[in-house]
Amino acid sequence: MTFSPSRRAFTLGASAMALAACSQDAGANEVVNVYSARHYDSDRRLYEAFEESTGISVRALTGSAEQLLERLRAEGEATEADLVVAADAGNLWRLKDAGLLQNTVTPTLETSVPAGLHDPDGAYWGFTRRARVIIYRRDAVQPEELASYDNLADARFRNQIVMRSSTNVYQLSTLASRIERLGVENARAWAAGVRANFARDPQGSDTDQIRAVAAGEAQATVCNHYYYLRLQQSDDPADRETAEKVGLIFPDQNGAGTHVNISGAGVTAHAKRRDNAVRLLEYLVSDEAQTLLAPLNDEFPIRPEIAPAPALAALGAFRAEDIPLSALGENQAEAARIFEEVGWR
Amino acid sequence: MNPVAVAAACATLICASPALAVFAFALSGEAPSFGGALLRDGAIGTFSLIAAGGGGAIMLGAAAAWLVSLCRFPGRAVFEWLLVVPLAAPSYVLAYAYASLTWAGGAIDFPVAGFWGAAFIYAVGLYPYVYLAARAAFASQSVCALEAARTLGAKPWALFRRVALPLARPGIVAGGALALMEIAADYGAAQHFGLTTLSTAVFRAWYAHGEPVAALQIASVLLLAALVFLVIERRARGRAAYAGGSTRWRPLPRYDLPPLAQAAAVIFCVALVTFGAFLPLAWLARLALLYGGLGDVAQPLINSLLLAGTGAVVTLVLAAAIAASARRGKMIGKAALFAAAMGYAAPGAVIALGALSLFGLAREVGWIGGLGGALALCALIWAYAARFASAGAGPIDAGLARLSNSLDASARTLGAGPLKRLMRVDMPIAGPSLAAGALILFVEILKELPATLILRPFDFDTLSVIAYSYASDERLLQAAAPSLLIFLAGLAPILVLSHGITRARAGARAGAAATA
Repeated sequence: MTFSPSRRAFTLGASAMALAACSQDAGANEVVNVYSARHYDSDRRLYEAFEESTGISVRALTGSAEQLLERLRAEGEATEADLVVAADAGNLWRLKDAGLLQNTVTPTLETSVPAGLHDPDGAYWGFTRRARVIIYRRDAVQPEELASYDNLADARFRNQIVMRSSTNVYQLSTLASRIERLGVENARAWAAGVRANFARDPQGSDTDQIRAVAAGEAQATVCNHYYYLRLQQSDDPADRETAEKVGLIFPDQNGAGTHVNISGAGVTAHAKRRDNAVRLLEYLVSDEAQTLLAPLNDEFPIRPEIAPAPALAALGAFRAEDIPLSALGENQAEAARIFEEVGWR
Repeated sequence: MNPVAVAAACATLICASPALAVFAFALSGEAPSFGGALLRDGAIGTFSLIAAGGGGAIMLGAAAAWLVSLCRFPGRAVFEWLLVVPLAAPSYVLAYAYASLTWAGGAIDFPVAGFWGAAFIYAVGLYPYVYLAARAAFASQSVCALEAARTLGAKPWALFRRVALPLARPGIVAGGALALMEIAADYGAAQHFGLTTLSTAVFRAWYAHGEPVAALQIASVLLLAALVFLVIERRARGRAAYAGGSTRWRPLPRYDLPPLAQAAAVIFCVALVTFGAFLPLAWLARLALLYGGLGDVAQPLINSLLLAGTGAVVTLVLAAAIAASARRGKMIGKAALFAAAMGYAAPGAVIALGALSLFGLAREVGWIGGLGGALALCALIWAYAARFASAGAGPIDAGLARLSNSLDASARTLGAGPLKRLMRVDMPIAGPSLAAGALILFVEILKELPATLILRPFDFDTLSVIAYSYASDERLLQAAAPSLLIFLAGLAPILVLSHGITRARAGARAGAAATA
């Protein structure tokens, strides 16, 4: 008697699982399976557009890049995933390093993606760019005081910098690029200097850092450019107010250029539907997808000829740093060690 | 062969294997150089948070349970079920809601941040674990003991401290253990507040250093700590027997509080549900309205409910087998109880990683293929069982602890076998605890994120997955609606079962079983 509701629930659950299992195997039509660390509605729209133009349906599984990597590793050659998408070159490098990607080079990919924005072997290909910019409070800082990432370590900004945790991969890649350009010692000194300027222990998201700057908890921070644009265009009036109080700087325009990262994708080493995966990859860098993507997520298109979204274009042109993408991955472990040493968690 | 023992052995194997895999894989690699400092700071962080947040949750929960069970004040009957409400809100949702509500330039200019912010969120978010278990314990207490104390002139405080509290201790300890292990396993809130705990250290080793084996090593320390904690708790409880004094079941006598104390009781209860649920959820509702539109939540809602329902039933059955076997003093049952507790103290992603590693081994041997469709769902249910069996077994075990030994002995004398004693004696008496276990499991799985994220099949999103997707993309407005839905979906079963626990007090069936 006690168990009757449970038994019913069990039957319900079991039939639902059977149903779900069926739907997985249904549609003998063409499919391509994607593991993606980008959870944007914009990507959903891209997949739908791809489905419409090719008849290949996209089945997606989103998650953090690090977790998807472990799942791929455990699945080995049995994996159902054909394409992996990550929002950072460091994670793409890790996927390649773990032998989970296969090299894919096609004429379309080579002509569509500029040389610096894909893996030289073709293991992964960028399809959007994001800049790591400095955000400062307008009533406290003159933009020229923060023309370079170097300035974040200046004594002028003691107790005036907030930063995100270095567990986040964007932060790791930023330091990894510095290690590549200026060496380990310089990178360590810079990280220690910025650490000494912290107004608080690292906490919260990129957006939270911008809010802290706007609210006066600090004078400056570093974040991906599109978080600023999102606040500017938010449905929440408080967000728009926040964006008005702060300014955006593309650092190092007179030096090495602003740190830029990519979102990219690669075909899995054991893809069962390799041709479909390549078609989706080529679609992601096509004019159609790039034009569709630009206004949806405020990222920079992978090719300069394609116009960015109006709000993004309003930020003006900038010069990006010129380092091989693989350096972000190769120096990642070193960057993590440095963050640990200087006490920037 | 004793069927209870066999069932317990199977349940143990299912529930403990991912945690044991964590140990095995942790030993497969060398300790990295950065591990020592991380481990030390993480241990200090976890311990401090447990002391502050867990201590708070236990005190709030026990006090609230005592107030509504044994005192009379305006609104008591409403608060009795309302106080459970924060259980439906995941810690990570509370953390995000408070962070966007209370920053320096926000709607409330008093930042809930850092260590004390996290401790606050754990205390107001997790006290219902203690409240539920303690209330179930108070609700099944013998009237005689309480009445005897009252006849002897005990005031409410003395009655609470010297009679009701000691009698309810197994329940409070079981509920408190759940709250503490929730804190130990929490990643979302601790990471958001920038704290170094064992859990955040696990992810730091994994994500920042790219060393999953080092992550499993830190996780092993967390699991071992949970094990030690549980052993100490068991020893402290010792062989104390909670033999019921009487077989008569009547409504509990309640104290009329003086007016000032009544007002204080009302304010206390209002504050608990406000901070634990209504304030952050009202804020989320505002954000959801600002964004307008629910988004595509119908299918995720259905997926969430089906997973939570199936997962809760499977886990409850396993948990009941483990608890019943442990109660009978079987070694395997006791070991299973410990093993299950490790799963509960581990972050969900770690258990999922353990399950993935075993899956990888099974694939290499050639037993199974890719992790798609039904297999992925089974793996997910398995991870839920490994992670949450303790949440179900704890309350059931506490309920069984109140079962008098003489009753079990009588049933034996009458020739009842283990299975019959389980079905006819243990389970009816543990009824309220069983309901509490089912409730907690359903809601736990509804809120569960990391294992679901890692092990689910393609195109299978749950509410917690889409809430996470938006939140991790820093789109709080869009994350608000699915977060609210997690809460609302968990609310109905919580209230129904919460009502059931109160009603079970009437004891018609339990009383009949006890006198049979």
